Amino acid sequence: MLGALNSAPAHAHLVQTGFGAFYDGLAHVALTPADLLVVIALALLAGQRGTQAARWALFAFPAAWLAGGALGAWIPAEATLPLLTTLTFGIAGALVATDVKLRATVVGVFAIVAGLLHGYVNGATMAPGGAGALALAGAVTAVFCLLAIVSSQVTTLRAAWTRIAVRVAGSWIAAAGVLMLGWLARA
Amino acid sequence: MIRAGRFLLALVALLATLAPAPLPAHELQPGFLELREVGPGRFEVLWKQPLVGGARMQIAPIFPESCRQVGEVRTERVEIAWLSTTRIECAQGLAEKTIAIDGLDAYSTDVLVRVQHADGAVETLVAKPVQPAVTLRGANDAQRGLWAYLYLGIEHILLGLDHLLFVLGLLLIVRDRWTLVKTVTAFTVAHSITLAVATFGVAQVASAPLNAAIALSILFLGPEIVRTWRGQTSFTIRHPWVVAFVFGLLHGFGFASGLAALGLPQGEIPLALLLFNVGVEIGQLAFVLLVILLERSFRILQIHWPQIVERLPGYAVGTLGAFWTIQRVAILLRAVV
Repeated sequence: MLGALNSAPAHAHLVQTGFGAFYDGLAHVALTPADLLVVIALALLAGQRGTQAARWALFAFPAAWLAGGALGAWIPAEATLPLLTTLTFGIAGALVATDVKLRATVVGVFAIVAGLLHGYVNGATMAPGGAGALALAGAVTAVFCLLAIVSSQVTTLRAAWTRIAVRVAGSWIAAAGVLMLGWLARA
Repeated sequence: MIRAGRFLLALVALLATLAPAPLPAHELQPGFLELREVGPGRFEVLWKQPLVGGARMQIAPIFPESCRQVGEVRTERVEIAWLSTTRIECAQGLAEKTIAIDGLDAYSTDVLVRVQHADGAVETLVAKPVQPAVTLRGANDAQRGLWAYLYLGIEHILLGLDHLLFVLGLLLIVRDRWTLVKTVTAFTVAHSITLAVATFGVAQVASAPLNAAIALSILFLGPEIVRTWRGQTSFTIRHPWVVAFVFGLLHGFGFASGLAALGLPQGEIPLALLLFNVGVEIGQLAFVLLVILLERSFRILQIHWPQIVERLPGYAVGTLGAFWTIQRVAILLRAVV
């Protein structure tokens, strides 16, 4: 199990937009599948559970991401922990798909754990690539904006088919997680 | 009120300490390297080095090893750059060859590389600080590089913090959707007019007073935002599109600094101008859309910010406007005296 957690060596990488470190950090989240999927899945989950849960997630997740990112930049990991990052977005997707009636505080706790983990990996992979605080700020800004926009829109959905559409989106994310886990196990 | 005044004063002082050099809002004067094929493997070279703080930017092109210089290097100072011309001969041509810009990684600007092949086909590429080398494809794959102007336009608005802050200031005083549409459209039309005027060389504005005036336009919005907080009204609040149009004319000259400085061939200007302007609009609309969506999201999620946080964007507009005005007027005065 521990071997699986550390199965992928950390490669310093930072998306280079040419627009500076802030936009590089922003693009890093958008172009890293595990990061993008966890933000979308959490936004769907928080929106599904109502405005209070969305508010919890909106402040807990980026704050945890920032803390994790700072920690990752300070003490870089030897590995990118793909199993854990895949599990977080897979679980979030599954929770959306099954429409489990979670309390707002539980969504908040999940947001903190996922934010710390993904932020840590984010910081650990970006820092050796030459990214500084500005890149981390860009990444956290991207997370905050995406989470705010998607989760708020989901809270406004009333029609049954739109709620089903959200669950379908969650199931796709969960499926992506399962496929990724299978690929990791094979590797 | 006194506490807020002290806070603002402290913030201005802090910014002045943190950023003694001019902020890079208008320092985006790209370099320009033009190669015109005048015979098989023979190129006329035009190299434009922008000025940074009045000094020549320390960047230089590095040609492939198969190239050698065959003409004298002639250098002259023009208004905002140093121009060098020479000739090179490349035994194997320039197709699939890499040209690097030495020293570019030390600056926050780009170099536009334009190669005109013997058959008239043109390649346009951008060398960036993070990727200071470009690889040419040759005449058969030319014209692909025109998108470089679109990239330059997007870059200019996304890194032009003063332009974005002005747009933010306008968004903060706009009351309804129809006024928003009118205001954004007025700003777009106005800066497109002066961007075209400056790029075609019909009119030019010296960069120092222009930058000071742009800073003043941002500072101008500060008190207007405060009036909206107090429920007061003014001509600007009733007709923000008029202000957006008038100041948009100024900002257009600012946008032109990213394009007019290149000294493009006349024939290429219309398309370059169009793509550059489209790039600026893409960046601007993305910013406006983001602000609107975030505002709507906070409303839906019933987030009640503390008053200081709610007013922070307004304070940022006024404070940075004041800071830039002082800074740029000081630069202007230094240049005059």
